[in-house]
Formats: sequence, structure tokens, C-alpha cells
Amino acid sequence: MSIKTFKGGAHPPERKERSEEKSIERVTSVSQVVIPVNQHFGAPIQPLVKVGEYVKAGQKIADAEGRMTVPVHASVAGIVKKIEPRLQSNNTEGLCIIIEPKEPEEGESSTDFMPPLDPFTCSKEEALARIRAAGIVGMGGAGFPAHVKLAPSKPISVVIANAAECEPYLTIDARTLVEMPEKVVEGVAMVMKIVNAPEGVIAIEENKKFAIPHVEKALEAFSKARPGINIRIQELKTKYPQGGEKMLITAITGREVPSGGLPMDVGCVVQNVGTLCAIVDAFKEGKPLIERGFTVTGAACKTPKNLVAPIGTLVSDLVKAGILEIDEENLARVVFGGPMMGVAVPGYEIPVQKNTSGVLLMSRDEAQYYTEETCIRCGRCMRACACRLSPALLAVAVEAGDYREAEKIGLLDCIECGTCSFVCPAHRQLVQKFRVGKQILRALKQKESQNAR
Amino acid sequence: MPDKKYLLSSSPHLFSPVDTPRIMLSVVIALVPATAYGIYLYGFPALAVVATSIVSAVAAEFLFRKLIRQSMTIDDFSAVVTGLLLALILPPSTPLWMVALGSIFAIIVAKEFFGGLGANPFNPALIGRAFLLMSFPAAITSWSMPHGLALPADAVSAATPLNLVKQGNALADVAKYFGASDVGAFYRQLFMGYRSGCIGESSILLVAIGGLFLLGIGVIQWVVPVSVIGSTFVFSLLLGMDPMLGVLTGGIVFGAFFMATDYATRPLTPLGQAIFGIGIGLITVLIRKFGGFPEGVTYAILIMNAFTPFLNKLRVKKYGFVPPPKPAKPSKEAVK
Repeated sequence: MSIKTFKGGAHPPERKERSEEKSIERVTSVSQVVIPVNQHFGAPIQPLVKVGEYVKAGQKIADAEGRMTVPVHASVAGIVKKIEPRLQSNNTEGLCIIIEPKEPEEGESSTDFMPPLDPFTCSKEEALARIRAAGIVGMGGAGFPAHVKLAPSKPISVVIANAAECEPYLTIDARTLVEMPEKVVEGVAMVMKIVNAPEGVIAIEENKKFAIPHVEKALEAFSKARPGINIRIQELKTKYPQGGEKMLITAITGREVPSGGLPMDVGCVVQNVGTLCAIVDAFKEGKPLIERGFTVTGAACKTPKNLVAPIGTLVSDLVKAGILEIDEENLARVVFGGPMMGVAVPGYEIPVQKNTSGVLLMSRDEAQYYTEETCIRCGRCMRACACRLSPALLAVAVEAGDYREAEKIGLLDCIECGTCSFVCPAHRQLVQKFRVGKQILRALKQKESQNAR
Repeated sequence: MPDKKYLLSSSPHLFSPVDTPRIMLSVVIALVPATAYGIYLYGFPALAVVATSIVSAVAAEFLFRKLIRQSMTIDDFSAVVTGLLLALILPPSTPLWMVALGSIFAIIVAKEFFGGLGANPFNPALIGRAFLLMSFPAAITSWSMPHGLALPADAVSAATPLNLVKQGNALADVAKYFGASDVGAFYRQLFMGYRSGCIGESSILLVAIGGLFLLGIGVIQWVVPVSVIGSTFVFSLLLGMDPMLGVLTGGIVFGAFFMATDYATRPLTPLGQAIFGIGIGLITVLIRKFGGFPEGVTYAILIMNAFTPFLNKLRVKKYGFVPPPKPAKPSKEAVK
């Protein structure tokens, strides 16, 4: 099998060995859940429950009208204790619904799931409605509503299961492939059916080769059960940001997603492994997205683990319950997500949400911090940029406030993967500048279009 | 929540171990073979030139940054690189006060006046040499034959191969001047480096080893050196000069690997770098053929440095580039 990749990128230290071989552990009882109302990319939604109300696991507790909205469900059965703003993993305070678990009364079920639905026989509309009703968003990190992604307005030729897991430290996708390959394969088949794609590809980076035999076995079993569905494995070079949607598409199909366009413009749909499992659960069990797998690791974590926990579980509660042990003395940085794109947060009393792929507890040694020095124009960022954006020149334009030039270089095409900042020998905060610059440029463009009207 | 404070910063939270001092030190390491050979060829005076140049460069940067109350930058080793590079492109017999003056000029005028590391438009070491060449043309163009580590009473003044060619000597006579039996042996001798010239540029072999080391560890890229050396060869051939001699003598290989690849003053984009390198080759050959000096690498690189900001506009097409929609042509009725 040929190993494919994209141009550019870098090799950050992988540091996956801590949790790579730890089986996924299921967290069943928690003392409370803090469920953020808004966990998706799109329009905000509102709570549907009141303080004091009893809710079942899987019951919808927040929703709104609108295409870019996704409902949120109670992840445990219990009583709504509070509805108040709390610190979320994106470092902003957002409205959260706090539920304290309580056993249901005699004869009552503690869950409120939907009836199972067969995606291979139901209509496309039914399937998309189910995915929205199950509250599924992209679980790789972006939190993009899945029902929008799976309703492309253009024909799709390839469905790609993103198991690249190019972020260092994280191992949950690899563990999922090893432990539940059937589910991933089935998820790919379901998505292929929904978007009517003839081909499915499960993309795995080379450093997770050990998962390939498991997936191969599952593919074999699946092709016997449902012949005629074309799914294959594609090995990819271990390189960051291989798991970026655009890079993955380019590596596998050779096509480039046009600037300002979407994967569907080149006939692709990419879904993260976790999302695919959630889709399978939503159809087969009628279970909404109320729990997810994530990796807890880092040198300050004495017990690196791959966990599946209810959405809204506070990391601090996992410590209290003895599931995690933290080297508090040595802990210097807490990151929600991977080390390349994750968000550093001021503590770990923060809930796991739908897009939390990992929690990093970095030690003093790991948590490097540098002051910015002057650019020596070495060009490392230019060669590393997977979007070929000339970060060194882009940074000059952004710093000078020349947003016209910055847009020309491709500020809005930046995928914010952070490779430029990683390779910079002067520790320039390049991607950080581009994040701010993108927001300013978008605001400027909006103003311009308003004035033009 | 524990009251202790955690580090908060925007991602990424990992950093490559390659930093500015490490890059600069690797350039110094790459220059060690050529420097050592220069000292072997010309003895103590060469060592004195190298030491003077480095010390005055670092001291100039230190004092200037102190004077203008800016952050101290001598620990990034860039001044060491500038000092060393300047020493290696000077004749071994250069008076030490001139060396110091050139080095100070390179650091303060060519580098710090423009904002220091990374902000200088022209290569500081070459500016230093150009400044000395214009101020003291006699001293900077007086060469001596290699005399080894033995201290000669007075260095025998000699001509460089390019001097002799410029004066209209035939290649075979030039070979004889350097004690080579025929042209082929002369080429081999030039490649190994036993000839009169600047301290660090004579041995093509050792310069290339240093350059390939930098290429191998990814400090420099191949586009600039290949285009400089390749175009010098081609343009020499086109102008009826001996292309092998053109590449093996003078400072073209040294310039290609260590001067033209200077981060701050070469273009950042691959296409820009290729044009930059070809320009250097062309201008070098033009100066050698038609100019007043026998050698032109210094000016060729400095002239092309001036084009760098424009060459930086030749960017690679970004990922997923879509050509902007052409403005619709006005309809014929509108024109009427």
C-alpha cells in the first residue's frame, strides 16, 4: 500500500506512548455534569428545561430553530440544579445546565432514547433529521453540525474517515480503531449511504499502523455482511497537520479544496472517527451524542488514560473520583484539545464537551513558553505551511495593518494549524497573529459590504 | 479550583527545538573547515584577521545595542557569523585595523541602522567588504601566495587566477603560474584550494563540504546555491570564458553557499530565489568580463539584494488558489 501525504507540514514530538496502549475506560457514575448549552459551530441555542426539573439521559435540554443549530441532550438522568454561565473549554463563560444524577422512580427508565432507525433503508431526509436530533457535531475539534455537512449540495465521490490523529499526545481515535473497528466501518458505510458516495476511505497515519489489522478484519467481516460497499484503508505519512480536512483530502484524492470553498466542492466528505461512532449509535441505538471518548495525558498526569465519559463531566470531578491522578506540583499548563490547536485553560474544573478530543496536563518541562524574537526570515514557516501561505510575509502585512495585502497572500485561507509557530526559530507568534487578523479582516469586509449596499 | 496559576497562551503549545542561536552556530560550524584551511595556508596573519573581525563585530553590536538601549542580541551569534564571513572574504594580508573598521561598519551601518537581525536589506559582511574595497582598494586587492604556517619575513605579493585572466593571460600560463603542469591538474588544484585569494574561499572542496552540511541539516535550501553556481557556469560559457575556471576561482562557490543564502537578504519564495541566484551569476560574469574588477561576486550579490523585496512578490500559489473572476467586459452598447 502506498503511503500518501501532502506538501509541507512538520513533525512535532508525538508523545503518544503514554496512553497509546491504555484501553478505553468507561466512566459511568459522576457526581454532576455541567453541560454547556452551546457546543457547536453555528447559531446559539436556548435551554428547554427549568431548574428543579427531572431529566432522563438522552432527553433534549436545549435547542433552537435554524439550520446551523444542534440540540443538546442531558448526559445523565437527574435533576437540573442550576442554569448559569460557567467557564467552558474555549476559555469563555457560556451558559451551562448543571445536572445532579438521581435514580429514576420505580418502574421508570433512566434513559430517553429515540427508536432505532436503519439508515440503509430510510430516506435521506429521515437520516439527516435523525443526525440533527441526536445532536451530532464534528468531534475532531471544530464542532461543525454533522447534519449540515452530510447534506452537501454537490455530488460526493469519497467519504473519508479521519483517523489521522495528527495532533501529538492524543490517542483516542487510535484506541477506537483498535477496540471498535466495526463501528467505524459501519459509520463510514452509513455516511456513504446518506451522501450517496461510491467510495469510502479510512485514513490512518503510519505511526498508528498497529490499528490497521483490526480495521482490515472489521472490513472483511463487514463486506460479508453487506457486500458491494467499497471501503478501503489508506495509510498516510505521520506529519502534522495530516488530519486537517483539506490536507487529508489532498493526500488521498490529490484534489485541492478551492479557496473559500468546502470539501464538497471537490466531492469529499470528511468525518472524524468519533463522529462516525456517534452516528452509528444514533441510528442503531437511537442514542444521542451524550458521551464521548477523549485522551487524558501529559507528563503531569500520573494516570494517562483513554476515557469515555458523559458530556459535561468536569475533569476535576474525575480527579475527585480517583479516576485520574494529577501531579499538582508539576502541573504547569492545562490544555483542552491537542497541543497544536488546543486551548490552554486556567484550571481543570471545566466540562468535557462534544468537541473535546483530549485533556493535556503538561508538566513544567513540557509547558514551554518563549518570548517573541525578531524574524530572521529563514523561511521555515513558508516551507511548513500546508496551505502555502508565506506566513513570514503574511505576518509583516498583518502587523502593518495592511489587510488588503494580507487577504491577497491568503489570510482567510489559514487553517490555524499552528505549524508556522511551531517551526519558527525566533518563536514568532505567527498563527496567533493570523487568528486575530482573520477576525479583523472579516469585520472589515462585513463593514465594506454594508457600506456598498 | 486550585489557586495556583497555570500558563495561559494561545496554541500551539509545542515548539521546535531549532532556534536562532542554533542556526547561527551551525553556520559557524559549517565554516570551520574553510577557516582552518585558510589559517593553514596563510598562517598567523589569517588567524589574526579572523579573530579581529569576529571580536570587533560582536563588540560593535554589544556597544551599539547598549548605546541605543535595545535588547541585547549578541547571544544569538549572528554577529559572530557576520564577523567570520567578513574575515573569510578578505585577503590574509589586510591590516588588522582595516579589518576591525570593516567589521564595525558591517554591523553598525549595514545591520543595526536598519533594525538589526533580519531587517537589513543588504548582506552586512559584503557591505563590510565593499566598504573596505572602496576605501582602501590597494590593500584589499593585494594578494599573497600561500606560505603555510611559517611566518614569512614579507609576504610575496602575487596575483589571483582571475587577475591573471583579466590581464589577458592564457589559461595554460595561469596554470603554470600556480605550478600546475596542465589545465586539468590546475582545475584539481583549484578544487582543493592551493592558490592565492581570500582567506576562506580558496578551497572549493571545503567550502562545499560546509555548504552541503548546511543543506543536509536544512539550514539552507538548494535553490540559491544551485542557481548561482549553475548560472555562473552557463553565462561564462555564453560569454566565451572558461566556465570551469569561472566556477572554481574567485568567490562564487563561497558566495553561493554562505553569502547569497543569507536569510535576511535573499528572497523567501522559491521562484524569487531562483531569479535571485540567476541574477547573481549573470552580474558576476558581466563584471568579470566587462567590469573594472577581476571579481564581481560581492557586487553581484549586493545588487541582487536590492531586488529581494520585489522578488518576494513572486509567491507560490496558495492552497486551493482560485483565479479572481475577471471583471466583465462592458457590453458593446455601453461602449457606444
